[in-house]
Amino acid sequence: MATGTAVSLKHVRKTYQLAEPVHALDGVDLEIPEGSYTAIMGPSGSGKSTLMNLVGCLDTPTDGTVVVGGQDVGDLDDRERTTLRGTTVGFVFQTFNLMPRLTALENVALPQLFQGISRGERNDRARELLERVGLGDRMDHMPNELSGGQRQRVALARALVNDPTIVLADEPSGNLDTETEADVLDLFDEFHDAGTTMLVVTHERHVASRAERIVHLLDGQIERIEELDGSETSPRSSAGQTTGHDRDHGHDHDPDHDERTGPASGANG
Amino acid sequence: MRPLEFGRLAWRSIGSHRLRSALTTLGIIIGIAAVIAFVTLGASLQAGLLGDISPDDQRNLYGWAADPDTEGGPLAGAQPVFTQDDLERVDELEDVDAAYGYMPISTQALAYDGELTPQSDALIAAGPPYIRPATIDEGRQFEMGEREAVINPAVAGQFEENVSVGDELTIVRQGGEQTSVTVVGITDSSEGLSPFEGFEPSPRVYVPTDPYYTEEVDGIGAGFEDGEAAEDEAGEAEPADDDNDEPATAEDARFLAIVVEAPSADEGDIDQARDSALAVLESGDSDASELLGDDLEITMQTSTELLQQLQDVLDLLQNFIVGIAAISLVVGSIGIANIMLVSVTERTREIGIMKAVGAQNRDVLGLFLTEAVVLGIIGAILGTVLGLAVGYAGAWYIDIPLVYPYEYVALAVAVGILVGVLSGLYPAWRAARTDPIDALRYE
Ligand SMILES: Nc1ncnc2c1ncn2[C@@H]1O[C@H](COP(=O)(O)OP(=O)(O)OP(=O)(O)O)[C@@H](O)[C@H]1O
Ligand SMILES: [Mg+2]
Repeated sequence: MATGTAVSLKHVRKTYQLAEPVHALDGVDLEIPEGSYTAIMGPSGSGKSTLMNLVGCLDTPTDGTVVVGGQDVGDLDDRERTTLRGTTVGFVFQTFNLMPRLTALENVALPQLFQGISRGERNDRARELLERVGLGDRMDHMPNELSGGQRQRVALARALVNDPTIVLADEPSGNLDTETEADVLDLFDEFHDAGTTMLVVTHERHVASRAERIVHLLDGQIERIEELDGSETSPRSSAGQTTGHDRDHGHDHDPDHDERTGPASGANG
Repeated sequence: MRPLEFGRLAWRSIGSHRLRSALTTLGIIIGIAAVIAFVTLGASLQAGLLGDISPDDQRNLYGWAADPDTEGGPLAGAQPVFTQDDLERVDELEDVDAAYGYMPISTQALAYDGELTPQSDALIAAGPPYIRPATIDEGRQFEMGEREAVINPAVAGQFEENVSVGDELTIVRQGGEQTSVTVVGITDSSEGLSPFEGFEPSPRVYVPTDPYYTEEVDGIGAGFEDGEAAEDEAGEAEPADDDNDEPATAEDARFLAIVVEAPSADEGDIDQARDSALAVLESGDSDASELLGDDLEITMQTSTELLQQLQDVLDLLQNFIVGIAAISLVVGSIGIANIMLVSVTERTREIGIMKAVGAQNRDVLGLFLTEAVVLGIIGAILGTVLGLAVGYAGAWYIDIPLVYPYEYVALAVAVGILVGVLSGLYPAWRAARTDPIDALRYE
């Protein structure tokens, strides 16, 4: 199944021209194979969300190319990019981003509305997905009548409604308790097993450890890529050893703390 | 995405801001209601006027002599110029079915069964055809030369006891002398029978010119005989025969107006009757022509033509009011545009979400445009209903038949859509242009 490349980034740079130029991404090269499960880690402000937005066709790079589903996002016009993110990509936002005035069912069905699918068909599909994420009894609730975990699951169901080949999740478990988090991660495993390419941003080691590999970002650059079968590639030779150290102590420390301080101390040392 | 889906979502968002939406549409409601109400009233007023022209009145030509510069309706500035002789000559014309004189006669009072009611302008002398058969409710036309009268319901009901056909009425003349008259008919309505009378209901007694008018002229003639002063007082307006030595007779009676009946209401027939009648009256042979000149010309028009002038004034007034009402529509559109702009800003995040999950620019544009149009249509429909209700109440109040200007209802809805599109276009365009990344970041 995992033969081609789902996402490919070449020399991707994203620069914000403020008083001083901010390089949110500073020359990123990354290949994500079809059907793979990749976690992205890195301290706050390292460019994780920027990367996700590029892969999710919400944004375009300042430099370099982003190829999603075989198409160069930079070459697409606004309409084509919208179609691509409507059909190929399913995005789960950290902040849920549900429509406040629509029910859970309508929220899940929304992406299909823009694909011109009939109401009946849409609702059937949305119901099926909500059942699958365990919200069969909350379909007609408004987002503000749902708990954080339930909202997250609605957002997840919505991301899957158009059968995307790539699912992007930006800190999907940030607001969840351990049990709900486990449920969501189990669902990710399920999608992955079904052949979907998974790309998950997280601060937490145990979330990332579900993936096949972890991409560590630092200051807009890939610090190293950690294959969870043991091997490791590190574009920055200086950072290589420090991260190995991190991994050993991952269970003893607060993982969040670990992620934020680890690479920094590595750079210092 | 289908229009129906747009509509459903637009309705959702309007429904979640009920008060705001209601206030927004108020401008449109008031604007459209004002236009519809005035147009309804205008149309009803016109129908009320035109409806008073019965089909068998449409072949009548009403003529009078006045200074051509005189402005105003029928009989404005009219002078009595037509003699019995003139009328007879017109009557004999081939193109004319009938011609007779018309003369309002001043009175003091009407009396019935010993009961006296003051009445100054109820008496109208005319020819028998003036009482068109269709307007008679009971009885028949009066006959020329008989002391008979047709009265209208306002007169019949004026006395303690209702006057009915066959009863005797007493007319107290301006000078005080009394004549009696037998009621031979009662009309079906108290409104005027011709544009000469005006259409508003008022008590009227219709009598034959002979003897009622000719008799009066005889009286005046008698007065002239007695004193020279009377003649001076009479002045130009009271034309006397050239030969002052002879007493005035029935032949000298001059009528204020002439009614010429064309053979049919057909335009050709009417024009022919008019041309022939005018030719006779303006020729040197007629008595009227002696008095005609630069400042006294004969006007001869049908009821419809006479009302046309009134209608023109009415139209002008109506256009003016509708123009003012239209301004409130403009204000209403600005209101919708304003609220849509607020709505777009407020829902920036929602727009971002929709675009992130695959909404195209045109979907977002359509969504917001639909919302504005729905507001416009709601405003138009409520405004139309309100306008029709006000028009109905107004028509009822001034007692005219109600005419609903249906084409304006369609127009109002079209205007509502247009207002929605125009006022929604810019906000919707702004919404469509929103960058999803910025929108999702928007707090
Ligand atoms: N619109 C923007 N304008 C200017 N700078 C921006 C903008 N968006 C992001 N940045 C900058 O780009 C950098 C990367 O931001 P990004 O949101 O990708 O970080 P992140 O890794 O997702 O952080 P976090 O873990 O806190 O979510 C940050 O330094 C941020 O300040
Ligand atoms: Mg982020």
